[in-house]
Amino acid sequence: MEPSTTLAFVGLADVVIGLSLGSRLFLIAVGLSLIFGVLGVLNFAHGAFYMIGAYVALTVTNQLIDNFWIAVVAGALAVGLIGVLIEVGTIRPLYERAEGELDQLIVTFGFVLVIHEAVRFVWGSQPYSMDAPASLAFSVSIAGSTFSAYRLFVIGAAFVVMAGLWLFVTKTYFGSLVRGTSSDREMASMLGVDVPRLYTAVFFLGSFLAGLGGALSAPLQSTSPALGDQVIIDAFIIVVIGGLGSMFGAFVGAMLVGLMQAIGPQFIAAGHIAIPFVAMVIVLLLRPEGLFGGIGE
Amino acid sequence: MSTRDGIADRIGTFGHEAVRNGWTTERFAVLGLIGLVLLAFGPSFQVYLFTEFMIVALFALAFNLLYGYTGLLSFGHAMFFAGGSYGMAMVLRDVTPYAAEVVGSGIAPLVTFGLGAVGGVVLVLLIAVPVGWLSVRLEEIYFALITLAFGMLVYSIIIQNPGGLTNGTDGVIVTLGITEVAGAEFRLGERRTYYFLTAAVVLPSIYAIWRVVTSPFGTVCKAIRESPDRAAALGIDVTYHRWMTFVVSAAFVGVAGVLMAGLANVASPYHAHWTTSAIPVVATVIGGATFFAGPIVGAFVFLYVRWGISRFPALEAHWELFFGLMLIGVVLYFKQGAAGGLLMLRGWLFEVRAAYDRGGTDAALTYAKESTSTRLGRIGGSSDGKRGDRE
Repeated sequence: MEPSTTLAFVGLADVVIGLSLGSRLFLIAVGLSLIFGVLGVLNFAHGAFYMIGAYVALTVTNQLIDNFWIAVVAGALAVGLIGVLIEVGTIRPLYERAEGELDQLIVTFGFVLVIHEAVRFVWGSQPYSMDAPASLAFSVSIAGSTFSAYRLFVIGAAFVVMAGLWLFVTKTYFGSLVRGTSSDREMASMLGVDVPRLYTAVFFLGSFLAGLGGALSAPLQSTSPALGDQVIIDAFIIVVIGGLGSMFGAFVGAMLVGLMQAIGPQFIAAGHIAIPFVAMVIVLLLRPEGLFGGIGE
Repeated sequence: MSTRDGIADRIGTFGHEAVRNGWTTERFAVLGLIGLVLLAFGPSFQVYLFTEFMIVALFALAFNLLYGYTGLLSFGHAMFFAGGSYGMAMVLRDVTPYAAEVVGSGIAPLVTFGLGAVGGVVLVLLIAVPVGWLSVRLEEIYFALITLAFGMLVYSIIIQNPGGLTNGTDGVIVTLGITEVAGAEFRLGERRTYYFLTAAVVLPSIYAIWRVVTSPFGTVCKAIRESPDRAAALGIDVTYHRWMTFVVSAAFVGVAGVLMAGLANVASPYHAHWTTSAIPVVATVIGGATFFAGPIVGAFVFLYVRWGISRFPALEAHWELFFGLMLIGVVLYFKQGAAGGLLMLRGWLFEVRAAYDRGGTDAALTYAKESTSTRLGRIGGSSDGKRGDRE
């Protein structure tokens, strides 16, 4: 990419690529943020979850049933179930422990190592690619630039997920339980909320979203065992900028990081690597709670 | 008493009798040093592995100054490890051509190595002082996140090769020359020579860290870990102490980084990546963060289990799996890590032996069964150990 110094070079194409990148990042970051907001757990393995979603989806389309939509659902569900097993088996015992937050961080980091190796064992180290569904395998021309329809579809999907989650959290009974429990766990428990079960459900939802993000991203990037290590750092940047626990923050943060990565290199050659970390540091120092507040706000 | 007469028993018996006969720490230290010298004549690869173990042990020990003693989990210590590596490598690259002219060709390589080490530590301090000052304002997960961000920022700067200093993704090659002292030649990069050089740096460093944690400063750190609020109420400047611990910890990690550059013959950007920051975390947690020697035990387990696994071709590629499982198991069930586990095992064996003395094999077996089942019953229970009484 050619470094340049003027804004004129930032075209619509860069913006769309940035938004498409941001949409994929949103799907992983929102689950991470949701889990932190409700359970107080910073899931280091969330990037690895995303990676499993991609692998399951491409195995289903390339080897089992050649149906993209079934593959996406399979990827998301598989990761959701893995999340439930991990939460019940290893994270739940740590809620009551003093310094449990750091212990949970270390346990989920243990799963990063385990999943990384498990993935290499099952799928090998070579990168895989996957085709976009035939129904979306065409390009669209907007203002002189051509975009693949699939890229635009993923952007749309991110908006739909954002809207759906927002409605879910603010309008449904389950959503009000989630909000209540995230703000005062003990009070919710005394009012009869089955907190452990709610936590497991939220962890399932967050993991499901990571799997969904991975499965939807599989046609847009090559899937290899290094994928999880990369995306988890992006996801951390996003949730910090947006505010840990804030879904809307995850959305804005993801789009910002996507745009920074797409447009940044035009201003500073290494912009796409360095700028997001600078942004993360600045936000942590000036406003550790992020640009946006807690969950559902 | 025991019918078994294994080597562990013999060592144990020897140790007890030695203490009873008035053996001092100094005598054990001399014994250890003799062991270190003997090890240098072992197979070349084992010498290399032990050198790496000493470096990782120092890395983890310095990391634990912050984690185990002050309660701050840094996920960005790779920036100091790489800082030491790069400082050393860049000084060596840029100073070596002139050093021979100033001090004469004989000891020039040793002098440049020393200059490189100083350069590495100075570079680390230049990073650690401002980064620490900013980072210690945050606690727990936020501290882990900001150190991760700073670490990756350093990584991205190294990759970017500013001013041609870091040579991008290839890293900076480190060549240690041949030193001539009083007619004898030492090739610094030679494994046995480098082994002694590493030991000569690591052992005093470990002793220095020991002096830090046993000093009043170290006591203050522990007080802060147990309860920052109470420490503050006693008039301790919590933020300042955390900052100083951060800087001291970073400086020793820098020393480990300097040594690593010489061992690996390269200052690689991989040394700055967050996956390198995970190495001391894994070693410390597995070894036991609440014990001074925990990170050393953990580093030993880390490198030798990895080496053991590499002897089985079927498992070799998947050694990370074992560390992941160990990490999870240790955090869930053995918060005190391997060092604590060893002490627990020792106590348990004494109990079993006492039961054997009372009622023979049957009593010993019954005791073993019962104590194991109560132990398993506690699994997943609430906090235990020193660090549990914080709230």
